[in-house]
Amino acid sequence: MVQLIVGQLLNGIIVGTLYGIIALGVTLTFGITGIVNFALGAFMAIGAYTAWYLTDGLGIAYPLAVPIAVAAVAATGLLVDQSLFRFTRNNLINGLIVSIGLISVIESVLLLVWTTTPKNMHYVLPGVINLAGLIIPKMKGVVFLVLLSVILSTYAALTRTWAGRAVYAFAQAPEAAMLMGVRTRLLQTGVVVYSTALAGLGGALYASLYSLEVSLGSSYILKGVEAAVLAGIGSVMGSLIGGIVLGVTEAVGSLFLPQAYRDAYGLVFLVLILLFRPSGLFGAK
Amino acid sequence: MRTSLAWLSLFLVPFVLHNDVALAILVFTFILGILAVSFNLIFGYTGQLSMFHAAAFGIAAYATDLSMSRLDVSFWVGAIIAIIVVIALSLVVGTICFRFRLREFYFAIVTLAFSEMTRLVILNWNSFTNGSLGINLTTTPTIWLPGGVVPVAGTRMWYYLSLVSLLSVVFVCTRVVQSWMGRCLAAIRLNDELAETLGINVFLYKLISFLIGNAGAAIAGALYAFYLGYIEPAYLSIEQSLAIVAMALLGGRETVAGPVIGAFILTALPHVISLSAELRVLLYGAILICTILLLPRGISGLIARPRYVS
Amino acid sequence: MFLEVTGLTKRFGGLVAVSKLSFGIVRHEILGIFGPNGSGKTTLLNLIAGITVPSEGRLMWKQQLINGKPPHEIAALGIVKTFQNPQLFAELSVTEHVLIAAHLKLKREFGLRRIATLMRPAHHEASLDDRVERVLALCRLDGVCDQPAASLSYGNEKMLGVAMALMCDPELLLLDEPATGLDHEETLNLVDVLRDLRNHGTTLCIIDHKVGFLGSLADRAIAVHHGSKIAEGPPASVLNESAVIEAYLGHRHA
Repeated sequence: MVQLIVGQLLNGIIVGTLYGIIALGVTLTFGITGIVNFALGAFMAIGAYTAWYLTDGLGIAYPLAVPIAVAAVAATGLLVDQSLFRFTRNNLINGLIVSIGLISVIESVLLLVWTTTPKNMHYVLPGVINLAGLIIPKMKGVVFLVLLSVILSTYAALTRTWAGRAVYAFAQAPEAAMLMGVRTRLLQTGVVVYSTALAGLGGALYASLYSLEVSLGSSYILKGVEAAVLAGIGSVMGSLIGGIVLGVTEAVGSLFLPQAYRDAYGLVFLVLILLFRPSGLFGAK
Repeated sequence: MRTSLAWLSLFLVPFVLHNDVALAILVFTFILGILAVSFNLIFGYTGQLSMFHAAAFGIAAYATDLSMSRLDVSFWVGAIIAIIVVIALSLVVGTICFRFRLREFYFAIVTLAFSEMTRLVILNWNSFTNGSLGINLTTTPTIWLPGGVVPVAGTRMWYYLSLVSLLSVVFVCTRVVQSWMGRCLAAIRLNDELAETLGINVFLYKLISFLIGNAGAAIAGALYAFYLGYIEPAYLSIEQSLAIVAMALLGGRETVAGPVIGAFILTALPHVISLSAELRVLLYGAILICTILLLPRGISGLIARPRYVS
Repeated sequence: MFLEVTGLTKRFGGLVAVSKLSFGIVRHEILGIFGPNGSGKTTLLNLIAGITVPSEGRLMWKQQLINGKPPHEIAALGIVKTFQNPQLFAELSVTEHVLIAAHLKLKREFGLRRIATLMRPAHHEASLDDRVERVLALCRLDGVCDQPAASLSYGNEKMLGVAMALMCDPELLLLDEPATGLDHEETLNLVDVLRDLRNHGTTLCIIDHKVGFLGSLADRAIAVHHGSKIAEGPPASVLNESAVIEAYLGHRHA
């Protein structure tokens, strides 16, 4: 029994980092542009399909396909930001609605290009690691490490570099930051593009583990928002922790409660946090 | 006066239009119109983006059928029970949300969460709801007409039933909006802090508009289920909630009946432009984006002068 | 004592905005509150009006404890506050603003029967229209009554705030810098309006910077600095106290 729980714990942590990377995108976008980009799930799907296509369709080596996919997603993110999100800065309802419309657009384009047949990438890194009696697929371990390092480097970049601190400054006091010469429009676009890139990375890595279908992003964006809110909007490390908490709860919870309720945990957390501690577990104030 | 004539002319349509498909589109338009108009009371007038509307819609559908099959009552009694159930649930959800003074975005998220939770319950409570398989409805509502009790069958009868229901809902919403309560709702939408210092009980009126709106959604749910003949958990899906928002935005949230236009366009579109399913979804998303960016006041915003406060 | 404030304290995290403040307001008087920026004056009014909840202390209104009551209840009890930065309902006209502010009046006149008026919107307007006209005229807003409030001059926006507060028939009117941004004529008019109000039974508590305006209008004054009361008494003597001058102008001038 204990082994089962620990196994699920590890599973939960790994899935949690996927939630975390999306949550990071959500929290950065919301903190800087004032809107929640619900389309991040769809961007994740773009990343996943692109990575799959590059690897299985064009025969490009997976480690190369991933950065290309991320770049492709970032490019799409830039396009979308300049043509749409630019007009919804700090108008939450409008931005929300644009991002929701975007989900339909992106998912239907993916369907048109690649149809509804689920896609399965060939095994990039077959084999498992044996960790004190627990079996973990090697690829899952790789995914975990990659996502973890990206989130940690983002945190480091935000807290230690000038550019990063400018981002924080802007998030706290937009007018002051503007007066101090921070290039706010560039900042906002940059954050939107970066979060789509994060989502794209999540998707590209997702593709190596799971079967792909166009709506793969929809549950991830919901979980991402849940994790971001749980941790507190604006907290980078919080996104990771929130994601892991969520992932672990779901994984361990599925041992005791029917699979059907897996999605409910996040929802319950969400409601409780927003009611009793709206700034999240790690949020300011 | 112009609008009254427009409404009256709708009664004459079935005499002129004999195309069953077209009439069916109108029936769906009216029923979804009820859904969108009642949503707009909460969203367009009180300024709260509720993602619980589809849940009210779906819960009412299930509740109506379940009352009829388990309690052996008529459609009308079943619908009333459904409305009561929805109002009770909305009271709980609304009190929680508004007591805790959730603002805009967080209100949308929490109502979404409650909606999803409800959907999951319905999806998994197989003994009660048949889960993802849904329920096929075999009964039809019956109506008392001079001559006897007649089943509501055929597009024409549904046309009049749904039109009358829509008009009733529009009437109630118009009354509310044009009264002192409408002023309170507008005040809450525009500056709830100021409204509160002027003596308006913001919590109470937000809750009242939420209850009335969801009651409207319940009416739509009961009618829709029995017209379509099939109920499934997708009634409560996020996609359904988004479709409702789209209808309100497209039709125009500044007038009471504006959302009906949105309901019409979104219902009729798949029939007018024959596209593959993917292209239809693409178009739907594009319409949503274009509307909010280019036509924020919706279509009725082009025609009508906004009446915020009487 | 109409309004009694005892040991009122408000902390925002580590910042103490109001610190053990005690004073009273007598019926029918005009109380002026002086103090430099950041001295906690607005927070004080927010506490009385129920917009913020006290960390410590007691607020007694007509011998009734009002700590923690929501703003709309406080307004219903007779205390109405205006805002330092004019708060408006974007898009609506001046008249519509005043009509919204008539809610309390409507509630008091009709009680629960007002539910019946939902079916007949025009019916109750007549009794209000009169009052609306008078309030608008009093605040010199009748000329712009149909204009969108957003297009008003700053001075008129402030007067609109006063008009809305008047519509609520307040027993105690809390004014947060009502004269700031008004030109000379508007200030004189405001003084007239407020004196008139007091003569008709309303008690006023006014925060302002314009020492001339408030000095001549107030019967009694208190001075506040860093959230504490540093002086109390007739306006002239309060303004002359060294502690007050020091607070406003710094050490040297005292």
